[in-house]
Amino acid sequence: MLDSDAVKGWLVWGRRQVRRSASALRDRAETGLHGPHWLSVLSVVLVFFAWWFVHAFALVPEVLLPGPGEVGATFIDILRNGYRETTLWQNSAATLWRCGAGFLLACLTGVPLGLAMGYRPRVRAACDYIVQFMRPLPPLSYLILLILWLGTGDASKIALLYLTAFPIVASSAMAGVWTTKLERIQAARALGASETQVFRYVVFPSALPLIFTGGRIALAAAFSTVVAAELMAATDGLGWMVFSASRFLRNDVIIIGIIVLGILGMVLSRLVLVLDSRIVHWRGVE
Amino acid sequence: MSAIPALGSLWRALGERRVTAVSVLVVMLAWVGATEGGLVDDLFLPSPSSLWDGFLDLVENGYKSRTIWEHAGLSLERVLSGFVTGALVGTFLGLAMGYNRKVEAFFSPLIEFLRPLPQLAYLVLLIVWFGIDETPQIILLFLTALPVSAIAAMDGVKGVSVLRMQAARSMGASEWQVFRYVVFPSALHEIFTGARLAVGVVYATLIAAEIIAGSTGLGWMILDAGRFLRSDYVFVGILAIGIMGLLLDRLLLAIEHRVVHWAGRD
Repeated sequence: MLDSDAVKGWLVWGRRQVRRSASALRDRAETGLHGPHWLSVLSVVLVFFAWWFVHAFALVPEVLLPGPGEVGATFIDILRNGYRETTLWQNSAATLWRCGAGFLLACLTGVPLGLAMGYRPRVRAACDYIVQFMRPLPPLSYLILLILWLGTGDASKIALLYLTAFPIVASSAMAGVWTTKLERIQAARALGASETQVFRYVVFPSALPLIFTGGRIALAAAFSTVVAAELMAATDGLGWMVFSASRFLRNDVIIIGIIVLGILGMVLSRLVLVLDSRIVHWRGVE
Repeated sequence: MSAIPALGSLWRALGERRVTAVSVLVVMLAWVGATEGGLVDDLFLPSPSSLWDGFLDLVENGYKSRTIWEHAGLSLERVLSGFVTGALVGTFLGLAMGYNRKVEAFFSPLIEFLRPLPQLAYLVLLIVWFGIDETPQIILLFLTALPVSAIAAMDGVKGVSVLRMQAARSMGASEWQVFRYVVFPSALHEIFTGARLAVGVVYATLIAAEIIAGSTGLGWMILDAGRFLRSDYVFVGILAIGIMGLLLDRLLLAIEHRVVHWAGRD
């Protein structure tokens, strides 16, 4: 769920710690694979082989673990005909839409607030305790309240994802501002930059790498929360599909749901990585 | 008379905390005003007094035959058993992956797939396989902690300065000694960082798991109270969950400071 750079960005909270480990925050933007590729292929093949083996020799009942063949057939069936009147595309789209809406709203509000909190001690004093209170709360714990307040529709889910992503995004934007080197701000001021210019051309670019790191963590958190929320109260979405399939012992559908979710999760985190290396091309270059 | 200037200087000495104090006060006043003033129904947002009553009730009488302490204890037990097993296996795996590229190449596809996968997705499968008692929840938490710890340990080993390893080797350290006295202590900081992260994720996952498929524990208590519209219990439960999560994190941080006292002094 979290990468090494994210680990550092996430845990580095105190101002002094941020300065101290600013160098440690230089990210590996590419988490490329090291070592022989054939071994990676081998491990994937082995997993599939073990699956086939267990199935072929009926080591566990068919109901509990359908074979790769059946799962493949069901996959094509769900793609064409759908599962209980919703196709795989519709379910994936519903999940991604909720996740994206909550995440984008959190970015739109959390980043400016975090920047302000990092830049203006007064803003931080007024808002920080709220963010820090929300940060360690497991999001699902207040889902029930949101359902109580906003109903069981999309509003409560989007609000949940918003609240999941918001403290992460805001804290990382705040920490990002702190990584700005004081000498740079002073240099810009000495050269006659206005306050807005200092913020626009010095502070903001310095904060951007950590903002992206925070965005990546927040997106991952929102993605795993959306599935949990759909398990609880939804009529579409991948989480709903998996949960509903478990009620009817359709383990083939569950396995497809898990594989699709895993792939979607990997694609999402890759997407942010690519955006990150495109936009924040100065990451790690000092 | 002299008390007022003293208070004034105290007020000034508080600095930025004044803003925090005012902000907390405003939020509290809004809460009290909205609930006691009857703007919001007690059903949606309990007033401070009914929250306190709810807390006392949970401590004394409990919720569905268990007190709040028992629910918290059950949750904590699950978190710890899942976290300890997952973190131990994950750390060993991560150390091996960081140390040996072949091991890394072999396990990284599995870890990379498991990592971004929403944990709750495979909870459903685990429940179908193992029933709805403790087993699937503990396996779920094990699988949650494992990739987080493994990646942290792997990065820790990879971050060890080559100079130090070479220095130890040139002074005649055996491969095991290099690992025991150079690689492991250098990686320990990252391992602890990973452990703190893992505890956070495991905790959030457990609450979710209890909400979806539990019959005891804080997460279940919240869900069940929510179904009966007892929002005072829900609020107490949320606060308890938040405080317990914070304490877990602080505990690990304290252990880390004790054990890895050399961190950050390179």
